[in-house]
Amino acid sequence: MAKRIIVIGANAAGVEAASAARKKDRTAEIILITQEKTAGYSRCGLPFVIGGQISSFNDLIVYPPAYFQMLKLTLKNETKVTAINTKEKTVTTADKAGSTETLPYDSLVIATGADAFMPPIKGREKQGILSLRSLEDGEKILQAVQNGAKSAVIMGAGLIGLETGVALIERGLKVTVVEMLPQILPQMLDADMAKLVQEHLQEKGMCILTSKTVEEFLGNDKVTAIMAGGERMEADLFISAFGVRANTKLAVDAGIPLGETRAIKTNARMETDVKDVYAIGDCAESLNLITHKPTCAQLGTIAVRQGKVAGKNAAGDYSLFTGVLASAVTRLFDVEAGVTGLTEAAAARAKIEVVTGVISSKTKADYYPTAKPIKVKLVVEKESQRIVGAQIIGGEEVTQRINALSFAIQKEMTVRELAKADTAYAPPLCETWEPMVLAAEMVLMKLR
Amino acid sequence: MVKVDGYEVPEGLYYSKEFAWIKIEGEKVRMGITDYAQKQLREIVYAELPEAGAEVKQNEPYGTVESVKAVSDLVAAVSGTVEEVNSEVQSRPELLNEDPFDRGWLIIVKPSNLQVELPNLMDFNQAVEWHKNQVQTK
Repeated sequence: MAKRIIVIGANAAGVEAASAARKKDRTAEIILITQEKTAGYSRCGLPFVIGGQISSFNDLIVYPPAYFQMLKLTLKNETKVTAINTKEKTVTTADKAGSTETLPYDSLVIATGADAFMPPIKGREKQGILSLRSLEDGEKILQAVQNGAKSAVIMGAGLIGLETGVALIERGLKVTVVEMLPQILPQMLDADMAKLVQEHLQEKGMCILTSKTVEEFLGNDKVTAIMAGGERMEADLFISAFGVRANTKLAVDAGIPLGETRAIKTNARMETDVKDVYAIGDCAESLNLITHKPTCAQLGTIAVRQGKVAGKNAAGDYSLFTGVLASAVTRLFDVEAGVTGLTEAAAARAKIEVVTGVISSKTKADYYPTAKPIKVKLVVEKESQRIVGAQIIGGEEVTQRINALSFAIQKEMTVRELAKADTAYAPPLCETWEPMVLAAEMVLMKLR
Repeated sequence: MVKVDGYEVPEGLYYSKEFAWIKIEGEKVRMGITDYAQKQLREIVYAELPEAGAEVKQNEPYGTVESVKAVSDLVAAVSGTVEEVNSEVQSRPELLNEDPFDRGWLIIVKPSNLQVELPNLMDFNQAVEWHKNQVQTK
């Protein structure tokens, strides 16, 4: 049994790990160390405070100080871990005032997250380029809106960029999204599905420019415009959403090996190559369930599951992290989009040959008022005919369908089995023929 | 009963800083956890309570309460001998979420040193202040 467990990072992954460790070991000293002022808040909720659906950033605090008190977790906030010494099994910290401390550990959990990535674009050192990662970032963006910003340029059309774009349009700003690749949501959706989401966003007033690389930040000390794809774009607000990069400096300095994805390498117990040191969440690498290749899927769902596993192991228990499918969903205005497993593009990159099937249907009986459109795309591996991926775009009811297909993929269901699967319906709730089953039939037609 | 930012604080009880309440009932003392405590824990799935006849000591743990994510010690607000244990809470732990001050009582204790130990607890007004403080530090 570990006597002292230190967790570096106190958000989704870190707090989950600390809680799981506490459940296993009632007397161990468990210390969480975070650089941020506020611990245990939901990053994923930030766009919804910016957009106004949630009234205050404080509402995003999932684990208030009382939680830490109750579980007897010591929380050191506004404290930076400056070094890890894996030989001595210590971490060195520096607090706000600059006082340093060296703390010995029996088990260490690294949950240092990821930072907003800035490509080497000319002028990037200028002031006024905001990103959305932390609570403070959220406050800055909302402040800018409240100070009268009327327009925004968002660089990057991934989930963060688009959710922020939607939030700003809801606040009345004119929003332009600039994306380097030829489609929005390139990690999440194939081009044909991404197009549907793009069309909806454009209908709602979002200006989306794809295949445009940001070339330069213009202005004196403060950014007043950018050059992208040869075009000059001015705005009141500039938000970079180029993606995030695993925060691995502490690990690298301590000699804890990184993996292929440049995130911290872990085994099935979320342990790094160094005994008693675990890594979880946005900074950790694990394996994709289908390709069996290393992946660093930076999602809240993965952070908490890895956190729970690592917390148990760090406290002397036994628990495995079984791998990543990277199921994800989002809502952008009136459209919900979701993915599980491999996109057609991801399959091609992994040299997995697939057959796809797409069906367009409705979320209620066609004759029922308020039925919304829904489109299901299945990705099926050619040889085994197993479902390896799915994307769904619809006006509603996307999430649980993604979950159903996620379970199907994890159980290695074949497309034939899905075509015969039992489903439920009622006119106000679903079509008689479940769209996922019809999509399976579309694939079977191709396999004939 | 007063609500501090949504947390209920009933009158007629004494409170401890370890999230417990007690009600003096003649020679006996009834003990439980506060609304504030159950709200931090969320859906409570398990309560481990002592048996009748066990000794409890002020400020020392006498059991545990577990929710999906959290686990917390039950800390005795006063010392004494356990006379009765709430078996309903043992079979339906969610009672602690539903009704922490009434049907969710945990143990009834014959106190051994109430006169000396009571001043260590907070009365209603002090408890309201304490809750206000807790809420502010969020």
